[in-house]
Amino acid sequence: MKDKAQEIGKLIAGSLLSGLEAKLNEDINVEGISVGRLIVVDGRENKFFCLLKDVSLEATNEDILLNPPSGDFARQVHAGVNTFYKLSVQPMLITAQNPTDLDRPRPSTTVPPHFSPVCEASAEDVSLIFGAPGITNPEIGSPIFMEVPVCLNLERFCKRSNAIFGKSGSGKSVLARMVLGYLIKSDMAINLVFDMHNEYGWSATNEGGIDDPSLKQLLGSKVAIFTVDSNSPLYRKIRADYDVQIPYGAVEIADLELAAGELGLTQAGIETMYRLADKWGEDKWLAKFLDMDTDEFPQVVEDLKVNEQALNKLRRCLDRLKKLPFIRKEVADDTVNRIMDFIQDGKHIVFQFGRYNSMLAYILVANILTRRLHKLYVDKTDSARADGVDGPKPLVVTIEEAHKFLDPQVARQTTFGTIAREMRKYNMVLLLIDQRPSGIDDEVLSQVGTRIIGDLGDERDINAVLTGLPNQGTLKVLINNLEPRQFLLTGFALPMPVVIDAKDYGKFCSEISLGSGIILDEIERRKTVDELKAQVYGDDQIIFD
Amino acid sequence: MSERIGEIIEVYTTRFLAQADGLENPPHFGSFVKAESQGMAIYGLVYNVHETSIDPNRRAVAFGIERTELFKRQPQIAEFLKIEFEAAIIGFNDAGYIRAYLPPFPPRIHSFIYPCEKQEVLDLTEDLEFIRSINALPGLPVEELAAASIRLACSERGNDRAFLVRAGQEIAQLLKEEYEKARSIIRRISD
Ligand SMILES: Nc1ncnc2c1ncn2[C@@H]1O[C@H](COP(=O)(O)OP(=O)(O)OP(=O)(O)O)[C@@H](O)[C@H]1O
Ligand SMILES: [Mg+2]
Repeated sequence: MKDKAQEIGKLIAGSLLSGLEAKLNEDINVEGISVGRLIVVDGRENKFFCLLKDVSLEATNEDILLNPPSGDFARQVHAGVNTFYKLSVQPMLITAQNPTDLDRPRPSTTVPPHFSPVCEASAEDVSLIFGAPGITNPEIGSPIFMEVPVCLNLERFCKRSNAIFGKSGSGKSVLARMVLGYLIKSDMAINLVFDMHNEYGWSATNEGGIDDPSLKQLLGSKVAIFTVDSNSPLYRKIRADYDVQIPYGAVEIADLELAAGELGLTQAGIETMYRLADKWGEDKWLAKFLDMDTDEFPQVVEDLKVNEQALNKLRRCLDRLKKLPFIRKEVADDTVNRIMDFIQDGKHIVFQFGRYNSMLAYILVANILTRRLHKLYVDKTDSARADGVDGPKPLVVTIEEAHKFLDPQVARQTTFGTIAREMRKYNMVLLLIDQRPSGIDDEVLSQVGTRIIGDLGDERDINAVLTGLPNQGTLKVLINNLEPRQFLLTGFALPMPVVIDAKDYGKFCSEISLGSGIILDEIERRKTVDELKAQVYGDDQIIFD
Repeated sequence: MSERIGEIIEVYTTRFLAQADGLENPPHFGSFVKAESQGMAIYGLVYNVHETSIDPNRRAVAFGIERTELFKRQPQIAEFLKIEFEAAIIGFNDAGYIRAYLPPFPPRIHSFIYPCEKQEVLDLTEDLEFIRSINALPGLPVEELAAASIRLACSERGNDRAFLVRAGQEIAQLLKEEYEKARSIIRRISD
């Protein structure tokens, strides 16, 4: 890692609004310069931190383009005179050339003078902007082509709802796992993770088909696993901490509406449900309806003045709920109360679905629990405010497939939409993980504080993730050039947008489990056991089960 | 000092005309020469060589005999011929310093002309200003002259490719509004 910044060009034109332009020095290989790099322009009194947004081929006159030089010698001779490369960079932050400890980089409000040297950012520059790694400022990757930490300011991160977007395989879940791990380790907020694909609990299968350790394994008792399927083979190795059951009474029509697609509900069906709820009671109708024999339907049709066909259809749709045994008539314990107990204990919860990892189960459980939890949080925060005491612990709710909860049709009514919009008024924010951000309501998107954006193939998705951001043109180019495991970070928790190579998960694991987690405990325990055994039986291999 | 090659017979601020000594060793096109005048060396670049009859009123006539054979048979014919050459002034030696720009005055008529020493060629061509000078003079075959003199300066440097690249860049820069001209020179110096 070279510390001295390497000059790669000289500033020749530009504006604050549209960005700066520099001529690449002739001795720099243009193929080594790629978009997304951090660039520093050395002004007279200030350093300007910029992002490289474009590289272009330029010629000083038309003739050379019509009659290109042939041969290496001619190309070499014309380079820098008749032909040159232009770098387009977007200034983002500015700081004094020799900053004192009090100087923080601030948004740039002017431009550097003509011919200022344009350099690649050095390690020092990067740490000046993103700070040194620490427990509340963990390293989550490094700028592309550099090996310097880029840190996420967790304090700011927890103050807004955030999102991780990227197409399948872009590395969202792995990055989310790392962010969550650091959040848990730092105790900046309690985490509630709706883990649709069993990736955030005990272990996660990686591309190679091998199991990587996940949050529970790494952080031990700080993480509790709640499951709707305690009989799943998943829990042979590690027992789930809690068995989630949801009574029919807790299922609201709005929950079912959200899963209308999965249930096959039509508008007529939804109206029929409201009719039933009106007559039989909001918390009783579902149990009663599902219990009913179809023979009794004509009576219902007569009593409630509903359409018989619609009623039959509705029953067929709602019968799907019976395949989810954790939604039942009676339950032993109230899950939401239990969640609150864990939260008060400072424990983080991962909700798993075991063999019931259908979208239907996921939508229902996440929505029902979050809605009730949100109500509780609103009450608690309000009464804490009235009493002048601390409210409930800040909570980050992580949902995969976020568009299912936040599509424009429903976002205005769902709890998730509400949480996203009210920011952290009630100490509750979201971490959205999604591969189809275009399916998410614009208003919600524009409220997202920090966006972590991975490779996105679809133009609509790219436009969606940029909703409400400045410098969209620049950011769009950067997103277009992302590879798997590379992310553009932008927003509230970052001083300026930056493209990173996500930290290697293995590195994260060894870092996070230092001093915590059961792996380490286990290794230690086995070591002693093994030493004992070795003393008795001679050397033997350590075998993990 | 090397062998004298001629004597000046006409001068202008930017160029001079000289008559060569004898008919046997005329200076090469694109070669560097110097005139010793007023205690100063003034450098020129040969851009035109011209062999003609001594008497402006009488042209040479064709004899149909090969030149050496003709001179052997009729030696008096050689007496009526002369070689003249023209050189563009590209610099001078000012108290030991080589200046690659025009001297305050041209050399005087009847000053003698000598070929430049190797070191003088190196010094004169180091900053490549001479290319700019010849490009500025009207009526010169600039493309050919620049190429010939650069090739010569390069061979004096043991065919240093870095020098050739530098010269090419200078030409590209100087003639950036005249790409075709630059291109033809560059083609002539890249072999
Ligand atoms: N930072 C990383 N370190 C090591 N491996 C990684 C990293 N990021 C991604 N991977 C590898 O890439 C694979 C895919 O990543 P991930 O599961 O996060 O994708 P995803 O974006 O969540 O995709 P999907 O939308 O299909 O869930 C992982 O299983 C892992 O093997
Ligand atoms: Mg994933």
